[in-house]
Amino acid sequence: MARVRTADGVFYALLALTAATFIGEIFFVFLRTPIEARMGIVQKIFYFHVPSAYAMYLGATACFLGSTAYLVRPTDARDAFARAGAETAVVFGAIVLTTGPLWGAKAWGTFWTWDPRLTTALLSLLIYVAYVVLRSFAGDGSAERAGSAALGVLGAANLPIIHFSVQKWGGQHPTVITGKGGGLQDPNMKLALAVGFLAFTLLAILLVWARTRVELARSRLRRAEEDAIDLGLDPRTEA
Amino acid sequence: MKEVQVAPGAASSTSGGRETTFQAVQGGQEHYSGEILLVTAYAALWALLLLWVALIWRKQGDVNTRLVDLERVIDKAAAEKQAASAQKGAGR
Repeated sequence: MARVRTADGVFYALLALTAATFIGEIFFVFLRTPIEARMGIVQKIFYFHVPSAYAMYLGATACFLGSTAYLVRPTDARDAFARAGAETAVVFGAIVLTTGPLWGAKAWGTFWTWDPRLTTALLSLLIYVAYVVLRSFAGDGSAERAGSAALGVLGAANLPIIHFSVQKWGGQHPTVITGKGGGLQDPNMKLALAVGFLAFTLLAILLVWARTRVELARSRLRRAEEDAIDLGLDPRTEA
Repeated sequence: MKEVQVAPGAASSTSGGRETTFQAVQGGQEHYSGEILLVTAYAALWALLLLWVALIWRKQGDVNTRLVDLERVIDKAAAEKQAASAQKGAGR
């Protein structure tokens, strides 16, 4: 019981810290960072587009770790963690592929090109959408869980490809972070990006945690319902 | 959201508000407002996050409903068992 209370305390502390960091991020992005010389104000999308991509990697990594652990030794907690990671990857991947094209409309004059990084990021998003759809519609049996775990492991193989696609295959996508594009020129730009990374990391941890808790509660409830049915009590028919 | 540079004389190609010809724009480019794109991106970010939080909230609500059903069934079974044992005790 004391352990649960401690976990709740840490969760709420993390929630408060995340909220404070986001307020700081909004302050830096909209009030402190200068407007970029060539692109104008639309460059400010960068400060939450890049951290969102990073949060997508975090979700995908959680899915990979949970899936690998589940395949080694299946437990409800490992499956819940993998599922939470996949959903986090979908949400942040959707943010990346929404905010990026909005920036591209101004910077490139088009919302979408089949650039290597854009294409591999879209592929990754579709893999995690497939995972979520599989878990939502194919039931929650051990075979479905194992199949999803295999997809979670295979899906992670695309992550380094997304990251190195710009260096290997070129394309239009900027390489500001990796240094080849000259980096961020103003200290406030660097600070805004650093706060953005912190805010989105905390948010991703928070969301994976919250989603894992709900999924774990569902699994325990399902087992309790099955036990009740075995004892001749059926909550579904008597409800 | 976007402004398109219109070729000179394009206005004369309309009749009663309807287009009667399609003409190539000379050196025209589509321009998007940076402010609108930034606000749209920021709104999309929060809309997607809040949508997901709402879905988590709904799943939590579903768990609570099922838990209440299970508790009711267990309470009912416990009451029946208690009544049966009380009846048995009265019959002795």
